[in-house]
Amino acid sequence: MAQVTLKNIKKSFGPTEVIKGVDLDIQQGEFVVFVGPSGCGKSTMLRMISGLEDVSAGQIGIDGRDVTHVSPSKRDLAMVFQSYALFPHLTVAENIGFGLKLHKTPKAEINRRVEEVAKTLQLEALLDRTPRQLSGGQRQRVAIGRSIIRNPKVFLFDEPLSNLDAALRGKMRLEIARLHKELKDVTMIYVTHDQVEAMTLADRIVVFNQGRIEQVGTPMELYHTPANPFVAGFIGAPAMNFLPAEMLSEQQVRLGETVLDLPQSSALSGAVTLGIRPEHIEVSDGGEIMATLDLMEKLGSETLLHLTTPFSDSPLTARVDGAVELTEGQTLRLKFNPNAVHIFAASEVRPAMTA
Amino acid sequence: MADLSSGAIPRRFNPWPVTIFTVLFILAVLFLTPTIGVLLSSVKTTRAIALGDLWSWPDRLYLGNYAEVFSNPAVHRYFLNTLIVTLPATLASTALGVLAGYTFAKLPFRGSNLLFLVVIAGMFFPPQVILVPLFRLFNSMGLIDTLWPIFLVHTALGIPICTLLMRNFFATVPNALREAAILEGANEWQVLTRVVLPLSLPALAVLATLQFTWIWNDFLWPLIFTQSDEKRTIMVGIVNLRGQYTVAWGVQGALSLIASLPTLLIFLYFQRFFIKGMTMGAVKG
Amino acid sequence: MERENRFWRVALLALPLFVFLALVIWPLLSSFYYSFTNWNGFNSDYDYVGFENFKRIWTDRLFFNAIVNTSIWMAAAILLPTILGLSLALLLDAKVRGSKIFKTIFYLPICLSAIVVGQIWVWIYQPDWGLLNTVIEQITGSRFNYAWLARPDSALYAVIVAWSWQQTGLSMVIYLAGLTSVPSDLLEVCDIEGATPWQKIRQVIIPLLTPSTVVVVALSVINSLKGFDILFIMTGGGPFNSSDTLAMHMYNESFRKYFMGYGSAISVVLFLIALTIIGLYFRQLKKVDDIYG
Ligand SMILES: Nc1ncnc2c1ncn2[C@@H]1O[C@H](COP(=O)(O)OP(=O)(O)OP(=O)(O)O)[C@@H](O)[C@H]1O
Ligand SMILES: [Mg+2]
Repeated sequence: MAQVTLKNIKKSFGPTEVIKGVDLDIQQGEFVVFVGPSGCGKSTMLRMISGLEDVSAGQIGIDGRDVTHVSPSKRDLAMVFQSYALFPHLTVAENIGFGLKLHKTPKAEINRRVEEVAKTLQLEALLDRTPRQLSGGQRQRVAIGRSIIRNPKVFLFDEPLSNLDAALRGKMRLEIARLHKELKDVTMIYVTHDQVEAMTLADRIVVFNQGRIEQVGTPMELYHTPANPFVAGFIGAPAMNFLPAEMLSEQQVRLGETVLDLPQSSALSGAVTLGIRPEHIEVSDGGEIMATLDLMEKLGSETLLHLTTPFSDSPLTARVDGAVELTEGQTLRLKFNPNAVHIFAASEVRPAMTA
Repeated sequence: MADLSSGAIPRRFNPWPVTIFTVLFILAVLFLTPTIGVLLSSVKTTRAIALGDLWSWPDRLYLGNYAEVFSNPAVHRYFLNTLIVTLPATLASTALGVLAGYTFAKLPFRGSNLLFLVVIAGMFFPPQVILVPLFRLFNSMGLIDTLWPIFLVHTALGIPICTLLMRNFFATVPNALREAAILEGANEWQVLTRVVLPLSLPALAVLATLQFTWIWNDFLWPLIFTQSDEKRTIMVGIVNLRGQYTVAWGVQGALSLIASLPTLLIFLYFQRFFIKGMTMGAVKG
Repeated sequence: MERENRFWRVALLALPLFVFLALVIWPLLSSFYYSFTNWNGFNSDYDYVGFENFKRIWTDRLFFNAIVNTSIWMAAAILLPTILGLSLALLLDAKVRGSKIFKTIFYLPICLSAIVVGQIWVWIYQPDWGLLNTVIEQITGSRFNYAWLARPDSALYAVIVAWSWQQTGLSMVIYLAGLTSVPSDLLEVCDIEGATPWQKIRQVIIPLLTPSTVVVVALSVINSLKGFDILFIMTGGGPFNSSDTLAMHMYNESFRKYFMGYGSAISVVLFLIALTIIGLYFRQLKKVDDIYG
């Protein structure tokens, strides 16, 4: 049975419709990540699940119960905010025990459970401090502690790590993964802009765009078989390249002067858009696609090549081994891995998506 | 490296701090003079003042004026009356301002901005405008010559400024705090009392000081709404007593000082919150 | 959520709004009503007299006298404390020794009531042993006993000085608060560009203090419109009505002569004047908001 069910959810702020009909089932114990461009409605969706925001239309179910009109505190879920939202006038222990105290739990019981939680999150030494005296990572751990103490069925995270620096973010990411493993049967819904967080944490990723779901799937499904160019461009970094091409037959596509053989047949014909990820482009003497090297970004273990091709206005990005020696301005021969080529209808590709 | 230390510019004398200090000092003396005058008058005999000796340093402290004021039962009554009005009215107006300010800051609704403007516009019109109708209202309720109208009017007239200051302060409290508390199971009242108010102590201190000062010092409303000496507040009382001590300037001085003492003490106590409280409330109109 | 919000809005706003409506808005509207009657404050029966009271305003010499005095009073009572308060704040912002004590000294008069302030200044202006005349005598060496508050030429201005003395502290505090939000990197840019202190104040600090100025001016307008107590105590509107303001005039007509209807008409005019100023203020505020967020 699904833990969280969203049925045709819509949301408008005044005249503007922000969520335009979302259906989604989330299973018990699942870790679901919402991704999508800024302003596409991820936070709004999360806030509607939490009950902080009302839905304009549709139904929300949690644990088989229709909670569409149930107040947030009675939905048995917890939320971790990007800004941590710790109460500055309370100590760490009081912050963690805040909800229990509101529910008039006996003091001894609160203390016991606060200590239990503090142990899980390695906060024992900090219990008497106030939030001001904590580092960003510690603050976020306290915020998580505050939400796990009540054993909620569903956890909501809205970009919980985006205020942290890169190293700490990596560490906290592991901690959240560990937490998810430890708290069995707890459902987590997690909003992020970070590709790595999405790919590593998620059981399933939900890609939002302009108030709609573009695709739902495991990270690998989205990476290998994106349903549309939007998802293809959104998942993976650097983003997939899109090039104008033409279908010659069901299994043959022409790119400039080059003809590629596809392993699978495509139902499309005529002018199409060919998608290829930077990591699936190879610089090789046997390659038939000619491109000029404009710029190189050396990242150490790998190098990003920014190339221009005669058959497309937009630049092409390739990712090659860091050991390869090239010079800017040079003309290169490229080889596309045919198994990794995606064919989309030309009309589907909008310029904004490739940015 | 050695160059750096040996090449240090010899410190030139900067005349600014001294100049500014001097200017401020002179201004401060000018500002203090009137108050000191009253202070001096209160420790001098009426005879000495009448002989033109008010503004000189006293050879000896004469405490008779204070004795006179303290032993006057009317003064005790005035003080008590003022306290009975000021404390509850300060509390009530602040509390109402907190309620309204919280709603406007954290629970906005369609038209709430307009309503907020209407409420704070109440701050701008001269209170004399509503004097006659209020007099008639309280008269019909039989409340003239009681302390009730003064309490009620100050509570009501405090609403605009209290609402403005509190709303502006509450607006700086992150919404996420309220939402986090709600998800933890708090209702709106608990959010207000357990999260938002504990964070608003500086604003409350400033507001309470302002309200206390303004109500304690008020003259117009007690003048209009009370008639008998039994119900006078301190400021109206002082003016009345002037008749009794027409030329007893020393007593008048002592009376003024004693009457100002509560507001002075409150201000000195809450002073540390002032700049901060003002920044939050006033600047972001 | 919205359902609970709706409940809490009503629950939280009910009491403040009720008090405000009953004791501010309703009297305001009644005032308009009384201004069309000849109520005398005692009798329960009175007549509707149409625009009679407003017509009378036109022929009331004292009313126009009051308008003139109110304008002088307001102009001075706004300008003086604002300019003085700003100067003090700028001086204090230089972080000189003892600035905390200075701040307290300049602010103290705000804690005093108009009644006490009035009394202090009555003594300063006292013709025989007042401080002002004593100092003048010391300097000139000859006898001087000008009665500042008893002469129509000087009474209003004498009160304005006392008022400014009291109000300056408030402007100062607001400006000090405003100064804390002037970004220091902007001032450092000025130093690097080699601006003189005066240029820095004139070109950078004062424009950046505009939000504070709006607040200071608004508060001065409010306070000076209300300025009744101090005039009442120092001059009572005299001598020969030379310091009679609208608020004073309205009090006299309503509560001394018991022309409550006429007094209401005056207060309606006072209200309209206030409304105009509020309107101008909010327009200004909007402009400032556009620039300074
Ligand atoms: N209270 C509100 N009133 C009006 N519009 C709103 C409100 N909250 C959000 N919006 C609008 O709804 C849209 C979706 O906002 P939302 O915060 O859900 O985006 P998001 O996907 O979380 O973006 P980000 O990744 O930047 O956090 C935005 O266009 C936003 O401007
Ligand atoms: Mg968001």
